[in-house]
Amino acid sequence: MTSFAARRRTNIAGWGMASPFAAILAVFLLVPILASFAISFTSFGIGNIQDWTSAQFVGLDNYTKLFADDAFVRSLRNTAYFVVVGVPCTIVIGLLLAVALNQGIGRLRGLFRVGYYLPVVTSIVAIAVVWRYMLDPDVGILNAALAQVGITGPDWLGDPRTTMPSIIALGVWRNIGNAMVIFLAALQTVDRQLYEAARVDGARGTQLFRHVTVPMLRPAILFTTVITSIGYLQVFEEPFVMTGPAGGPDQAGLTTSLFVYQQGFRFFNLGYASAAAYTLFMFIVVLAIVQFRLLRSRA
Amino acid sequence: MIRQTTAAVTAALALAVAACGGSDADQAATIPDGKATGTIDVWAWGNEGEILGELTKQFEAENPDVKVNVTAIPVDAAHDKILTSVAGGQAPDVAMVGTTWMGELARTQALDEAPAEIDQSQFFEGAADTVKVDGKTYGVPWYVETRVLYYRTDIAEKAGITEAPKTWDELKQAARAMKAKGGAKFGINLSTNNWQEYLPFVWQAGGDLADGETFTLDSPQAAEATGFYKSFADEGLSPNTTKQGFDITPAFVRGTHPMFFSGPWHMGLIEEAGGEGFEDKWAVAPMPAKQTNTSFVGGSNWAVFKSSQNREAAWKFVEWTTKPETQAAWYEISSDLPANQEAWELPALKEDPNVEVFGEQLNDAKSPPPFPRWEEIGTALNAELDKAIRSAPDGRQAAQKINETVSAIGAA
Repeated sequence: MTSFAARRRTNIAGWGMASPFAAILAVFLLVPILASFAISFTSFGIGNIQDWTSAQFVGLDNYTKLFADDAFVRSLRNTAYFVVVGVPCTIVIGLLLAVALNQGIGRLRGLFRVGYYLPVVTSIVAIAVVWRYMLDPDVGILNAALAQVGITGPDWLGDPRTTMPSIIALGVWRNIGNAMVIFLAALQTVDRQLYEAARVDGARGTQLFRHVTVPMLRPAILFTTVITSIGYLQVFEEPFVMTGPAGGPDQAGLTTSLFVYQQGFRFFNLGYASAAAYTLFMFIVVLAIVQFRLLRSRA
Repeated sequence: MIRQTTAAVTAALALAVAACGGSDADQAATIPDGKATGTIDVWAWGNEGEILGELTKQFEAENPDVKVNVTAIPVDAAHDKILTSVAGGQAPDVAMVGTTWMGELARTQALDEAPAEIDQSQFFEGAADTVKVDGKTYGVPWYVETRVLYYRTDIAEKAGITEAPKTWDELKQAARAMKAKGGAKFGINLSTNNWQEYLPFVWQAGGDLADGETFTLDSPQAAEATGFYKSFADEGLSPNTTKQGFDITPAFVRGTHPMFFSGPWHMGLIEEAGGEGFEDKWAVAPMPAKQTNTSFVGGSNWAVFKSSQNREAAWKFVEWTTKPETQAAWYEISSDLPANQEAWELPALKEDPNVEVFGEQLNDAKSPPPFPRWEEIGTALNAELDKAIRSAPDGRQAAQKINETVSAIGAA
């Protein structure tokens, strides 16, 4: 009896202390999430913003309309392109950098660590100005370098075929720092004795990497993959700054988040935008479930 | 990476906390004879927002009991911020509103009808049309801009051209000659994704964007205009793509793009970028003609919101800014062209021959109808035009595809 009362007191105290935070979460996260879910089944648009009760319930119309909308389908394809190419690149490069920093580079380690992490914390607007300048076909350094070896570089952000690769390059460059830091931390925990034992068994160089480092880092790799995939599915800033809100030539840079932003905040088709946001949310949930299954079965 | 999926979510929150704007004002306002009193909150954006304070000081001097608070908004945020403020019941008394936003804002039912005391016939017709939505007048034109031809006179001369092109054929010939003989990389720069440059060609051919609420870009005139517009890119006379952040000014000064269409703000930009000695190397000229030489008229209007607590003073301020003398004073402060035709008779507007070209062009300039979903239509126009320029087989099919896309959005 006393233990029950004590537990109840602890519970009340716990809820009491958590309540400011819980209230903030409820007001600023839960209510909008539920409201936008409800709005996704309405025709909520520019004419309803003064009196939101005037919006019509339209059932699943917004959702069916989305899949008949060329721009939305295009945005799903672009987002998939970004994720499918961007995630492996980020993981592989991040891992290789972490291993290199962990072993080879001695005194300059701190410098390199800062160098690769800097893009993560730098303002995207400043980055975009420099990148757009570097990728310019007339005055950019990239095509000037290509010209030195006799290659005529493409108009990176002007040609629909090279738009998404350019955005992926920026995305990967901006995010390898995060992956690298996680891998570096995980590498510190790998037991040295495993390498010694493997060496005794005759393993060398890449064999050590493949058979000791990678298996030991598997939880970290899967964790980073899940987090990066979820982030990349919602990619917004990179195409926004590189191609503008409309996604550039042939909408080659129009990602789903950009589509949501455009419909919601430029056109105020809030019902339609909410439906698009929830569709993207479903894709994220599905991908996350698949990846968590992988994580559980292998770890 | 920002979690933008919650974008719509955040908007929903704005709506959840939105208080309904008090709209006890169903009657159109009247402008009282006396002096204005109280506080007037004015939102302006871009360059105008930065320097409007210099003008409002004069209004405050004439009306000692009034205080005008100017809020400057960054140009890219203006459209969204004004709409969000309406949604949140936080609209100012007066806002500077882009001419193509009027239909959309009128649809929100947040705008106050203009008092009858303001004579709308004193403004350029194209500008006055932009404040009329569904037969009602929701604002007042403040300043205007129109598009004209900018060209490099030195490159033209080298190419054997002595006069600005007056017709479509002459424009094409000039572009060809400037590229072939003038040594320029392109003959002209026609943006592939800007309806403000594209629609004038449709109007010039005798076509129009829409007839009532039916889009008419499937007309033979629109097909001809689209084909002509596209032919510059097809022949390599103009770039066939437009990048985010492309700046025509340095390209024009370098001479790679010796002609383009733009508004009056480019005069200052070119002077600044060209530096000393460049003033003899360029000029402006009216639009070249097909059936007509119609241009696009843009600029900004004043709108007063129904929710304003100081409606009469707000309209008094708006009326004051549209007087010819105030318009000329504002031109001297900002270089913005007066919407009021009478202001063009004042000496301040007679000094610069380039400015007179704009004045002449304003007599034949129009803007698209005030469709409530114009932002969406304009964006789709830009995207489809851009695709058509690179991949449509001819002008007729390009125009038809553009017409289908904008029709799917709808005029109502």
